[in-house]
Amino acid sequence: MSAPFDPTASDARELVRTALASGAAERATGAATTSDLSIDEELNLHAIGWESVELVTGYSMFSTPVGLWSWGQGEIVAAAQAHANAFRMAAARISDEAAAAGAHGVVGVHVERAVHPSYTEVSLIGTAVRPIGAGRVPATRVFASDLSARDFARLAASGWEPLGLAVGASFVYAPRRTMGAVLQQQSQNVELANYTEAIYSARELAMERMQRAAIDLKGTGVVEVKIVEGPMAFASHAVGFAMWGTVVRLAGSSHQNVEPTMVVSLDDAALAFDAATLE
Amino acid sequence: MSVADQSGDARSESFTSGLSVSDFAAVLAMGLEPVGLVQGFCAMQSSSYAVGSLQRNLSPYREARGYVENYQCPHGMVAGEHRMWGQNYEQYWVEETWNQGFASASARMLDEATRLGAVGVMGVVDTQSTLAGAGVTEFHFRGTAVRLAGTDSAPSTPWTTYLSGQRLLKAFEAGFAPVSIVTAVASVRVWAYCITEYLLGGGGISAWSQDASTVEIDQVVRAQSQARALVRASARAQLHGDVLQGVDLIATQHEYEHGDIEIQCLLRGNRARRVGDFVPLRAPDATVRLS
Repeated sequence: MSAPFDPTASDARELVRTALASGAAERATGAATTSDLSIDEELNLHAIGWESVELVTGYSMFSTPVGLWSWGQGEIVAAAQAHANAFRMAAARISDEAAAAGAHGVVGVHVERAVHPSYTEVSLIGTAVRPIGAGRVPATRVFASDLSARDFARLAASGWEPLGLAVGASFVYAPRRTMGAVLQQQSQNVELANYTEAIYSARELAMERMQRAAIDLKGTGVVEVKIVEGPMAFASHAVGFAMWGTVVRLAGSSHQNVEPTMVVSLDDAALAFDAATLE
Repeated sequence: MSVADQSGDARSESFTSGLSVSDFAAVLAMGLEPVGLVQGFCAMQSSSYAVGSLQRNLSPYREARGYVENYQCPHGMVAGEHRMWGQNYEQYWVEETWNQGFASASARMLDEATRLGAVGVMGVVDTQSTLAGAGVTEFHFRGTAVRLAGTDSAPSTPWTTYLSGQRLLKAFEAGFAPVSIVTAVASVRVWAYCITEYLLGGGGISAWSQDASTVEIDQVVRAQSQARALVRASARAQLHGDVLQGVDLIATQHEYEHGDIEIQCLLRGNRARRVGDFVPLRAPDATVRLS
């Protein structure tokens, strides 16, 4: 019979030998779990008393009317609605899957989104997590967060909690210039104010929507905000601005200061081979 | 001569390894030693069904095996080109092709490892590439076979893992022993019916209405969701109570023609067995590097 597995063994060789012997001799006894977290993230998660439960997904695709992107003024409302609806439905589905698995939240959500001329699609993949051994909660209380498990652990150590994903997007027409303006500006270095104003307009609307979503979730802020902005590849006179992040709020009465230790790395091997040192 | 018979005597006198120097050092610290860079190949040709040649209208309702959903046009006969029916279906023959490719290439890699007396194969890398035109896929697995230093005992089937070096050691420290890599594939085909076709093309929900509202494209959403569910169920069926860690789930979509969409989900991860009670680590120290 092999020696019992001792995770605190200081000798890595002994630890590996007993683990391999136990793994070969024993059958799995617990519930199967799936997770896209790295082993580092699993350890970070366990260090704060949470565990992974299930790999979960959410997907949605919403149509946008034909001819939407070519001519018009102001915001392209239907495109913004399609984006918001696709995110909302995908987030609801990933939360439903997590709740069904007995999880309290989803961390490390990979957000993939694509805006096409006639539809917008959003795909979310993440790992459902819960405090170790905790019971079920309703889907409405399950959070989805694009924070990594490491950042989720840091957030918890600081006394904060994630509440969900907040998204804001806007698509705005850049008005076409008159033929006279085109000819007049052709030989000048000149700002195209129509594009500048369009991107500012899209940005304001997107930020307003994302912050409104954060307030609706009863959050106090949004962290790790990602931004995708610029002209639409398939429409020369439309610009888009989309942003999303994780809504957070204080879980306790006050923020817990993290006091990092300063470290200086002494192994700067690259210098020994850096050609610049020969100059 | 079988694929695995093509190794020479030089292997008994030296070892090969795909490990980085850091991982090599970590392997030695774990009491393991590399014995060979082992590989497995398999080239699979898919049937003609799998490469998009099956034309629409050939079979309105396919054999009911796996996931199938039918969609019926609400308009009645409008025109010859009108898509009066639609279908989502699981392409089990595609999944079988991939599963056979995975299994054969993986088994050949393991066969090489077994011949070397290995207890496991770490740092596995798998790739799939197209060979000789459409319909032929090459499956390639490679990894570093290792054995316990100082012993000749080896299990009949070595364990496999995508992890290597320090990350594998961390898994051991966390109370897990590697069992095997897990791969799974799900393939779902969408043949759009009229409503889906209109919506994908920017039409309104009520055909020809110029409806400016946005509508969820239910048929595609169902197909995408089912593909993700199928691939996870296939992976879960391989676990037998073990855990699956470090999963990489890749969903791709190919549109052969308007409204004829193939969705493929590929999943891979590390099956591991808990061999000790969970012992939480203490909360890690936060550090800031000064450079």
